[in-house]
Amino acid sequence: MDATTVLAAISGNIATVGYGLAAIGPAIGVGIVVGKTIEGVARQPELAGQLQVLMYIGIAFTEALAFIGIATYFIFTTGQ
Amino acid sequence: MSAVQQPESLQPQSNRVFRSILVYGGYLAGGIAVVGMIAGGLAAGGIGVLSALIGTGMSVVFMGITAGSILIANRFAGTAAAIGAFFGIVLGGWLLKFVVFLVLVVLLKGQPWVQPVVLFLSIIAGVVGSLIVDVAVIRTSRVPYVSDLSRNPDPKKR
Repeated sequence: MDATTVLAAISGNIATVGYGLAAIGPAIGVGIVVGKTIEGVARQPELAGQLQVLMYIGIAFTEALAFIGIATYFIFTTGQ
Repeated sequence: MSAVQQPESLQPQSNRVFRSILVYGGYLAGGIAVVGMIAGGLAAGGIGVLSALIGTGMSVVFMGITAGSILIANRFAGTAAAIGAFFGIVLGGWLLKFVVFLVLVVLLKGQPWVQPVVLFLSIIAGVVGSLIVDVAVIRTSRVPYVSDLSRNPDPKKR
């Protein structure tokens, strides 16, 4: 009798899960950045210009994580 | 006779910052592409040069789409649908950008004329370089307080 029992198995590349994880964090981050900007513009519409710039830099840093995470596809699956 | 001065433009004053980001981002793309092509050529020959070019182009174009989408969305400034249009365009552009990026990554992977490590490193260099340009431009830019509302003499149009 087998000592081990396989309850679940996956086929394909486990690195795919990593790409999904790489998208979750930045998605939440951009959601927070944009949501807070909407709050700020709603409270003080005259600050919209400044808030846009701050929102942009927040989005840029957050989406950089997503780009790097998705681009790891090029190296983590090399040779397959 | 009206004494009300018409505004020269209803565009938010942050537009200047985003234009600068796009312009300096373009310069940066040229610089990183040249350095990457030399390094990629030394490391992997002809396909290294091509991979560096593709990687730099992808990262800088995709990072620049955010600033570009804000510039486009700002054209709706001063209209009733300004806030909805702004966030719709910026976030819609963000989503579209990542879908296109994913499709490109899948298409490029496994092509015989692409060197994956050079491509990956070029993307990293482009992304980090774009962030440096963003921070440098925003740090040196001046966006005045109370810039937008005070420039529109007719509050009913907002």
